Amino acid sequence: MATAQATTRTASGPPGKGALAALRERPALAKILALLVVAAVAVPLAHARWGGGVWPGALTVDLSGPLGEVNDWIIGNRDSHPLFLYFFGHISNAVVLSVRGVYLALLALGWAGVTAVAALVAWRTAGWRLALTAGLSFLLCGLLGMWVPTMQTLALMVVAVLVSVVLGLLLGLAGGLSDRTFRVLRPVLDTMQVLPAFAYLLPVVLVFGIGVPGAVLATVVYAAPPMARLTALGLRGADPGVMEAVASLGATGRQRLLSARLPLARKELLLGLNQTIMMALSMAVIASVIGAGGLGDRVYQALSSVDVGAALAAGIPIVLLAVVLDRTTEAAGRRIGAEPTGPAALRGARGWGLAALIAAAVAVVGRFTGGRIWPEGTVVPIAEPVNTAKDWMVDHLYTGVPVIGGTADWAAHFTNWVLNPLRDGLQGLPWWAVLLIVAALAWTIGTWRTAATAVLAMAAIGVLGVWDLSMDTLSQVVAAVAVTLVLGFGIAVGAARSRRLERLLRPVLDVFQTMPQFVYLIPVVALFGVGRAPAAAAAVVYALPAVVRITTQGLRGVDPAAMECARSLGATSGQRLRQVQIPLARPALLLAVNQGVVLVLAVVIIGGLVGSGALGYEVVFGLAQGDLATGLVAGAAIVCLGLMLDRVTQPTTRRQRKES
Amino acid sequence: MSEASTPVFSVRNLWKVFGPKAERVPGSELAELPAAELRERTGCTAAVRDVSFDVEKGEVFVVMGLSGSGKSTLVRCLTRLIEPTSGTLAIDGEDVLAMDTHRLRELRRHRAAMVFQHFGLLPHRTVLDNVAYGLEIQGLGKAERRAKAAELVEKVGLAGLEDRRPSQLSGGQQQRVGLARALAVDPSVLLFDEPFSALDPLIRREMQDEVVRLHREEGRTMVFITHDLSEALRLGTRIALMRDGGIVQLGTPEEIVGSPADDYVREFVRDVPREQVLTVATAMRPPTAGESESGPALRPRATVSEAIEAVSRSGGPVARVMDDGRLLGVVDHACLLDVVAGTGEGIAAREVTV
Repeated sequence: MATAQATTRTASGPPGKGALAALRERPALAKILALLVVAAVAVPLAHARWGGGVWPGALTVDLSGPLGEVNDWIIGNRDSHPLFLYFFGHISNAVVLSVRGVYLALLALGWAGVTAVAALVAWRTAGWRLALTAGLSFLLCGLLGMWVPTMQTLALMVVAVLVSVVLGLLLGLAGGLSDRTFRVLRPVLDTMQVLPAFAYLLPVVLVFGIGVPGAVLATVVYAAPPMARLTALGLRGADPGVMEAVASLGATGRQRLLSARLPLARKELLLGLNQTIMMALSMAVIASVIGAGGLGDRVYQALSSVDVGAALAAGIPIVLLAVVLDRTTEAAGRRIGAEPTGPAALRGARGWGLAALIAAAVAVVGRFTGGRIWPEGTVVPIAEPVNTAKDWMVDHLYTGVPVIGGTADWAAHFTNWVLNPLRDGLQGLPWWAVLLIVAALAWTIGTWRTAATAVLAMAAIGVLGVWDLSMDTLSQVVAAVAVTLVLGFGIAVGAARSRRLERLLRPVLDVFQTMPQFVYLIPVVALFGVGRAPAAAAAVVYALPAVVRITTQGLRGVDPAAMECARSLGATSGQRLRQVQIPLARPALLLAVNQGVVLVLAVVIIGGLVGSGALGYEVVFGLAQGDLATGLVAGAAIVCLGLMLDRVTQPTTRRQRKES
Repeated sequence: MSEASTPVFSVRNLWKVFGPKAERVPGSELAELPAAELRERTGCTAAVRDVSFDVEKGEVFVVMGLSGSGKSTLVRCLTRLIEPTSGTLAIDGEDVLAMDTHRLRELRRHRAAMVFQHFGLLPHRTVLDNVAYGLEIQGLGKAERRAKAAELVEKVGLAGLEDRRPSQLSGGQQQRVGLARALAVDPSVLLFDEPFSALDPLIRREMQDEVVRLHREEGRTMVFITHDLSEALRLGTRIALMRDGGIVQLGTPEEIVGSPADDYVREFVRDVPREQVLTVATAMRPPTAGESESGPALRPRATVSEAIEAVSRSGGPVARVMDDGRLLGVVDHACLLDVVAGTGEGIAAREVTV
């Protein structure tokens, strides 16, 4: 305390107190100087010992041997070892049975029944407008000939979401009621939320093999953290005044939890449900790589043969599903605490009863008139026309358009002029230089703790022996993040200034933010073909909405008194932006960078499916070839890269993720 | 107020120390240290220091002090919402600190109910269900508790608002709900923790009247925490003035204003209109010959300002202080002006021991 006061006094004292005072005034400079001192000692030592700029072979641990053995052992013992027979086997069977059960139930309801149920649930929670959207969306899924895959995905989702919610609630309860559990749980959950979905696939496959059980469990692992996190935060955030009042009336622990703490956390619980559903959908689609089936599988198959039309036909239902699910659960969260509206006869249980009655009636009528399966004759095949359009694009837009060039030209230029130099530069940098840069960035933005984690994660990549591949991935991430930030900040400044632009952007951002990562690959493949540039483009499009939204909110959220003050002093709008808005919105800007990096990484990794190579491809390759050792090493490197990128950009105070 | 009955609350040498190894502070030489030094040496803060008092049946016992004086901690110690560090505490003669969880729960459910500064209402319940909450906790059936709650909603003047949510009510209305919730369990003592501090001055006044009315009608024992001196003087049968965790002075409003125990209290009550608090019983002097026959008669509990009015209206030199037809003394212009000016030995001579 006393030293801190002394420091500020020195800092504000008369100038010319020497270099030490100057350093105290600028802690970032001091940190970098300290790092340089460490480097001056450590780098020559490292150089003398290992030599060269390439990650030293002596520090590499080859895991492919042992991992391969583990894999072989698991495959050999899957049908005989008690661990599998009595534990994983039962889990696997239970998952298969329940997914099958839900799937059959959905088919039994028939297309009319399912559509009616979706529309009526939307009506009860969000009103007739969304009911219309929901009904039309499901009909469109059928029209596109995707009824069965949609039901497959939905069945997998239902099971995964149920398990995720139960698991998340239990973990959240434990974390919300016990400080010790919370301290352990929180960093784990926070970290799990920044890791790319792909990293979760391989460990699951290792144990459960390719198929529905693995897909469901990967989805659960990916989707449960937000539920657990928000449940714990909600329970902990209960108004202490209310809790005290409840205790003063002599409530037992159970009564306190059930009648006060849980109801007080309803908003967070529903937000958790919303996020869990959205993450589950995102993962259920990606998990097609490990045999999830359904819509994701159709997209995956179509993309691997660059059949954009078929991919789009399966991609549209995914987007519709995402929008309907998101809006319905979000509306449920918004309605909390609001007065019941509408005619009294339709409120509460009576309204739901009526909805159930209508749904049952529609299902029965549907069964007797149309049958269960979507009628073949009414399918609108869009794959053909879309592919024709795409071929026309390939012929006319890919290259040789006067003045502006073509999309394929752009992609080639981006690859040649940006991605390649960046990759070569990163791969050419000595390993210790990369570690130093990582440390410097992480330490100036965050704390020494985040810096240490980032450096260790980066070093682990070297130890795993995938340094060059990771640098390739990193170069794509850096390039995509740079583009995202330039575009995102530009759009956000515009949106923060003009209400009209913001109003125009809002619905677009809403839809874009709800779409699963996988879907973004479809249009970029259509436009740019395959390769690293399209993957980077998909990453930009995926990360852009979050960056724009956070930045706009940050700029808009600047204290109006400060803005008014600047205006009263005669500042121009440019001065206001530079001198007031941007400095005051700094936390939001840093958060936007952090989110941008995390989201870009997720898609760059998935880009392995459309030819972006590097770590993502290693995972896909490992899965496709059954060479899990390669895939697992790449997966571990992805985890390390994700950890490093998150920590490097992590501001000291971390905000809640995906605030909307 | 029968003299013989056991006090509702009997508090002796109560301590609440926050911080590491708090239990070593009371009774040691650390106990004598001033707050800042104690914090420096042990990292502990003594929120309640060696407090002793009795709350008699039927009185409004006000604990007053500035923020940080420990008054809110003290009231929470009474039902062990905050566990006291040491001392003894009894309710109706029963040792509260010895109670097990079950017994303590019974105490909170039936014997002492609390009204909070920030209301502490459940936002997801209607007014009626909030009022019924305490009864629900006790396990009462739905119809029964709702009937009882409706009665109390009526009583605190919220009839017609039963189906609103707390967020749709004004601050004053929310506190009425809090009050009704506490009353619904029919407690033998009501605890108020700065209940009106968050309200506008006008609403605050209205709510104070409400408490006065409730006390007059039901005669329920109340412990009332406030930082507002005028509120304390208005409501309190007796006032305990707290500073740094200890009680500086305990007495009737008249004693606090009329004979402050030390400079701190004197400074505290300096701006109080004394003539509205002090009674003629304090201001009077023995009658001289001839004064006992004429002049208006006053009760001993009449305030000095009432006496001033009576004297000036009658035009005579004195007013007589009569109790059941017995002459206790007289007040003349000089006595009364002494009170207003805060001078003269009339008061000093009659100083009441604390």
